[in-house]
Amino acid sequence: MVLVVLAQLALVGRGYRSAHKEFAFQMFPESSTWSADVVRVTAGGERVPVSEPWSGYRWDELVTGRGLADPSVRHHADAGLDNQVAFLAAALDYVAAHTPRDHETRYLEARVTTWHNADGPEVTVLRSHERSAPAEGGPA
Amino acid sequence: MTATATATAVAPPSAKLLDRVDELLGRRVSMRALALLRVMAGPIALVHLWPFVSDALGGRIYRDAFYEPYAAWYPELPRSLYIGLLGLGVVAAVAMSLGLWTRVATAATFGVVTYNLFLSTTNLHANRAYLVIVLAALAIVPCGRELSLDAWLRDRRGLPALDLRSPAWPLWLLRFEASVVYGASGLSKLVDGDWFGGTVTWHRMVQVRDQLEASPLPSWAVSLLVDRSFHTYAAKVIVLTELFIALGLWWRATRYAAVWVAVVFHVAIQLSASVQVFSYLAIAALVIWAVPSTRDRVLRYDPAAPRHRRLAEAVEALDWLARFRLEEGGRGSPLTLTDRDGRESSGRAAAVRVLSRLPLTAWFTLPLLLVPAPRPVPPRAG
Repeated sequence: MVLVVLAQLALVGRGYRSAHKEFAFQMFPESSTWSADVVRVTAGGERVPVSEPWSGYRWDELVTGRGLADPSVRHHADAGLDNQVAFLAAALDYVAAHTPRDHETRYLEARVTTWHNADGPEVTVLRSHERSAPAEGGPA
Repeated sequence: MTATATATAVAPPSAKLLDRVDELLGRRVSMRALALLRVMAGPIALVHLWPFVSDALGGRIYRDAFYEPYAAWYPELPRSLYIGLLGLGVVAAVAMSLGLWTRVATAATFGVVTYNLFLSTTNLHANRAYLVIVLAALAIVPCGRELSLDAWLRDRRGLPALDLRSPAWPLWLLRFEASVVYGASGLSKLVDGDWFGGTVTWHRMVQVRDQLEASPLPSWAVSLLVDRSFHTYAAKVIVLTELFIALGLWWRATRYAAVWVAVVFHVAIQLSASVQVFSYLAIAALVIWAVPSTRDRVLRYDPAAPRHRRLAEAVEALDWLARFRLEEGGRGSPLTLTDRDGRESSGRAAAVRVLSRLPLTAWFTLPLLLVPAPRPVPPRAG
């Protein structure tokens, strides 16, 4: 019982520096908002918005949850900006790794604009890992 | 010599405290509140599982779109097995609620819900973490010995009823966790200048102003909700409310007030935000704060008096925490409630007190206890 209590208290403390705040119970932490322009950067250097389907893939079919289906629209970061940006970064990696029919994309890039609560905008650039070869598996 | 003897005979205060804590945690107490929570947790687990089941029935599971495993080693099942597991979770949640093979069903519900959540970081939300905690607590206690088909079947077979009491530590642990849910949330807002100062709630209201104006709220209410200075105070009320619930639940003097405020708090959240199963779960879990003893209040009533009879019937139907023992009094006798501390109340005061202790009517009648009434009669000496 003491171990569970200590573990729970540790998780609450960890919530102040972790993106996903598991078991930290920090509910509705911010009124922050975000939006992102997500593009595919091809081997030829082209920057193609992911709002355009490619190689039989659609962004909004590959990434459906956590308010990420349409990143170009300004959304409330309901679990905080750190949480939202971490999910977007992971989503870029997921799409890069799960689009085996795409032979032209080198990496995905998101230019993320965040508004922490009522503050002014800040811009961050996120990149997926480099796609050296088409990954196997994933949605057909 | 005398001093040495005294030192060995009297335990140090820290040892005494440890002994008291040990006794408190090991004391066998009624599991009635957890049995009731188990009944309510079944439908809540179903509501939680439904989006996953619905997607699976539509041919989509978590890994058909973006997901992020917590760990590479976390086992992922073949598609058909995963869908079967969700089905098992649904069956187990129903069985848990009904109290059929309760121990196994509760453990299975906990297992399926927990496994499913940890498949992806995208699955976890605070309300789901709380559900995992509640299900874990239910899985480790014998909460199927009452309010269950298991108990009914045992009775039908003529087998003796099982002990309805169990060591108290899981109940205390769950109380701690329930308190942490409110305390951690309140604390995080207290230390955040934007939150405590009102910026966060005001800014959010401004963002959804269009929705507020399209809602049935009167225009003055909308104006108030988007007024910056209102939130300077409102935010502090919200933060202090969460902290009051977290702390107030621990003391008998404040517990009923904390429960009442918690219900208002969750209804307000449910009406104003999308929080999945949080409101249902948090309100259901408030039953764990009932004193874990049963049938320790006696309600004496006159069966010939229609009002008394109606109240007695209400107690029979709604006393889900088994707090009352009904006794028929003599013809013309007053309605009398003898509380667990021996205090007596009668007439209207007794009726209000009874209704304030029934889960379904408590919220409505607790404020009536503040209305001055004849003081309860202290127990007679001898």
